[in-house]
Amino acid sequence: MGKLISAIGVRVLLAVLIVVALGPILWTVLGAFKELRDIVTPVPKLVFEPTLDNFATILRNPTIRDGLLHSAIVVSVSVLIGALLGIPAAHVLARHARRYGDDVQFFVLSLRFMPPVAIAIPFIVIYLDLGIYDTLFGLILVYLITTISTVIWLAVPAFERVPQNIEEAAAMEGCGPAEIFWRFSLPVAAPSLFGALVFTFVLVWNELLLALTLAAQNATLPVVAASITSLGKEVPWGVINAATVVLVLPPLVFIGLLMGLLNTMVRSGPK
Amino acid sequence: MANISCTDIVKSYGAHPVIEGMNLDIPDHEFVVFLGPSGCGKSTMLRMIAGLEEVTGGRIVIGGTDVTTLPPGERGVAMVFQSYALYPHMSVADNITFGLRRQGIARAEIAPRLAHVAQMLGLEPYLDRKPKNLSGGQQQRVAMARAMIKTPKVFLFDEPLSNLDAKLREKLRTEIRKMHLQLKTTTIFVTHDQLEAMTIADRIVLMRDGRIEQMGSPDEIFERPATRFVADFIGTPAMNFLHATMQDGHVARAGNIALRLSPTDFPRLRPGQNVELGLRPARMKLCPEGTPGALTGTVVLVENMGAEGQVITDVDGHEMSFTTPAFRGLAIGDRVSFAIDPGHVHAFDPQSGHSLREE
Repeated sequence: MGKLISAIGVRVLLAVLIVVALGPILWTVLGAFKELRDIVTPVPKLVFEPTLDNFATILRNPTIRDGLLHSAIVVSVSVLIGALLGIPAAHVLARHARRYGDDVQFFVLSLRFMPPVAIAIPFIVIYLDLGIYDTLFGLILVYLITTISTVIWLAVPAFERVPQNIEEAAAMEGCGPAEIFWRFSLPVAAPSLFGALVFTFVLVWNELLLALTLAAQNATLPVVAASITSLGKEVPWGVINAATVVLVLPPLVFIGLLMGLLNTMVRSGPK
Repeated sequence: MANISCTDIVKSYGAHPVIEGMNLDIPDHEFVVFLGPSGCGKSTMLRMIAGLEEVTGGRIVIGGTDVTTLPPGERGVAMVFQSYALYPHMSVADNITFGLRRQGIARAEIAPRLAHVAQMLGLEPYLDRKPKNLSGGQQQRVAMARAMIKTPKVFLFDEPLSNLDAKLREKLRTEIRKMHLQLKTTTIFVTHDQLEAMTIADRIVLMRDGRIEQMGSPDEIFERPATRFVADFIGTPAMNFLHATMQDGHVARAGNIALRLSPTDFPRLRPGQNVELGLRPARMKLCPEGTPGALTGTVVLVENMGAEGQVITDVDGHEMSFTTPAFRGLAIGDRVSFAIDPGHVHAFDPQSGHSLREE
């Protein structure tokens, strides 16, 4: 009996936690489908006539549409380059340069110690001088610091978990270092590496401060979403909600993938 | 098929020498076991022959080719690892044939070779599975198949049975031995298990602290240990050791214990000389009390090993053990006498640990 009560207690507690965690998101999602008058009523409405007007407004609004496009370009390019440079670097650190590995790892991590505000202002000056202020190229460049360092930081342990004997067995079959990396280390570490890339993606997708300071016309979606409040005299709650949903969707999808991946990894577990 | 010759092999990590000037010649077709305690350098030696570790000094020649600086893939050797080291993202069949496919050998030629090794190791039902869906024993068979299919000049086994349970270990040990009788490929097998070494080897290379302590057939190592270390390392139950002093008539005495040594085996022992005697439990027999040369003590413990039992006794303050099939009649506290054939007594120099036996 006591067991049953504690089991029910745990479930209730979990339910409350889920409501607390998901409540705001859920409310935002609901709000995205409401007319303004349904949102600003004193009594919150759960039953209402859904509308896609808010999304239409967003997608018709060139600023938001551009923001979305810019975000997609900047984030995918910087994550891609981060992966292309970071993953091989991580393999070298994990396998061939273990001696320097710890120092390099710490240096890479230290790049993340600095508050972005501290680098934002010098970056404005440098970017203005170089003429890359308010360009997608400039944003990609500064995001590369984040993506490369995060990818390296997460990929080194992923490669360290690849059993060294597997690479040695491949070497016994005549594979050179590049072939071992490409045909063995990379596929074996792939699930963890994918997780690292998703995490990196989410990190830069949500980045606001650097985008806010280093771009004006060519801003990314978080900047646009943050500035939506000044779109009209009336606060367009529905539009804000819809913009938030669009902004949150990619990270949510990726995190879902990530969780699924983590689960399969835990279940099958490298022995 | 090839002979292996290692000359003056030195390996050091930084200032730490792990292997100091090792010389070793392995003739064609021989099954050699590198045996020794952890950290004796046996795996390092194997990995240097494989090409997975760089050699600090010396030369390795396989089948007449100097391979000292060649990459592992060009040495004509195949290796089986303790952890199996199968490619987790490939099926069993792909694991086995990877090396051949990589060399660009035609599928039509690979198929019969795969069928042959799979049949030899009983892997036919598993060819489409992924390694993680196999048991440890099956995984190790796949690793062996992967090594065999390349028909290498040399097989290298790095403690291949250590991750398996005792019964499976015995079974695979027999299979490896049978495989060698059939293929006759020169083989080096690393283990820390002396019983495994004794049962499988043509020749044992017993290593300690990066040096060869003794090299010889299992019989030589067991019956003629060159040092106290070898005598102690080989044999279960472990050898009894006893510090004694030589007296007239080639008798070694330790308190009340007096053992006559063979004058032909130990012609140079002089009265007054200190020796350390080595007595194998398995070479001792129960005997009536008062038999000349018998040791008499009280039973401390009897360990049942099935067909035989190990009897641990207290002889004049020294712990001595012997094995006997008649252990069931003995109880703790009993007085018991046992004797050893003088031909089976070993004597070592207490300082250097070297055997005092003359060959």
